Amino acid sequence: MPTAKKRSRAGARHLSDHATPWAQCCAGALASVPVLFGIIPFGLVLGAQAAQKGLTPLEVPLLTGLNFAGGSEFAALGLWAAPPPLLLIMAVTFLVNSRMLVMGAAMTPFLQHLPKRKVLPSLFLMTDASWALSMADTRRRVQLGVEPAFSLAYYLGSSLVFYVAWIGCTALGAILGPLLGHPETYGLDMAFPAVFLVMLKGMWRGARRAVPWLVSLLAAAITYKLTPGAWYVATGAVAGIATAIMSAPVASAAKSGTPTG
Amino acid sequence: MIDSANLLAIVLMASVTYLTRIGGYILLRNRSLSPRAMAVLEAAPGCVLLAVIAPVFVSDKPSDLIALALTVIAATRLSLLPTVIVGVSSAALLRYVMA
Repeated sequence: MPTAKKRSRAGARHLSDHATPWAQCCAGALASVPVLFGIIPFGLVLGAQAAQKGLTPLEVPLLTGLNFAGGSEFAALGLWAAPPPLLLIMAVTFLVNSRMLVMGAAMTPFLQHLPKRKVLPSLFLMTDASWALSMADTRRRVQLGVEPAFSLAYYLGSSLVFYVAWIGCTALGAILGPLLGHPETYGLDMAFPAVFLVMLKGMWRGARRAVPWLVSLLAAAITYKLTPGAWYVATGAVAGIATAIMSAPVASAAKSGTPTG
Repeated sequence: MIDSANLLAIVLMASVTYLTRIGGYILLRNRSLSPRAMAVLEAAPGCVLLAVIAPVFVSDKPSDLIALALTVIAATRLSLLPTVIVGVSSAALLRYVMA
């Protein structure tokens, strides 16, 4: 919670140190509730779209439960036919979800204390929102000096809320289908930008560190305007990361001596 | 009922998605990263988040741009839930009024 930052350092440290995994799990689940505003209506709409494409109320939760990445599901359903174009669906899915390669990479330094047999199944549940919430929680714990910085329980609490909500809402959408309108009418599509902007505030480390973000935003916006499809996410992310590589603190890199990794 | 062609498409799609989820971890696990690489990884998440929401920033609708501006202002001073409420309600209201 943002209010935790305002608590005294010692007091907050005391609380976090003694939080049981179950309490951390609940904290993660609770932090995820505002994001459900954005997820529930879109799950319903996705289910309805899938039903229009001929997927049954059993196939829809199978798709959203096994894949569990909404952006790629919207994109794939746009291409769905009988029989479905397999290679095209796989390529588009990779394109839309390629950001998770970067997200997983960014999380990895904080996962070193966990065995692979726990990390690999846990990563199945990674979403934009649970990853962002979990990284914000990790940063908070770093500031408070809590070890380990990454709380698997918090991450799982958050992820499972989204998992249950997503499967449930998409299945419900497939059944209710045509009764639903467009979530845009109710402004619900603004929930995701709102969530991400608050996440960005948590990641803010001064204007100079934010230059790659600006480059990413500009490149993505221009690509979105000029090209159809989901290329804009990859273009923006690559442009931003390239900027980050070029503007990374060379002084500290030189100090570290041997260039590893 | 589950159609076998649909089932195949779903399983293949889910496999691709899972590979993107574990790919970064598989590649970077067991490697010590330089401060430079850490700085890049620290910048990467923000880049991804902004790239995902970039279309809103170049929306054709003035109502959406105003709602976004209000959401940005809200995000800088409020916590998550109030910001989401400001974003959703301002978008809904402005679209209704300015449609």
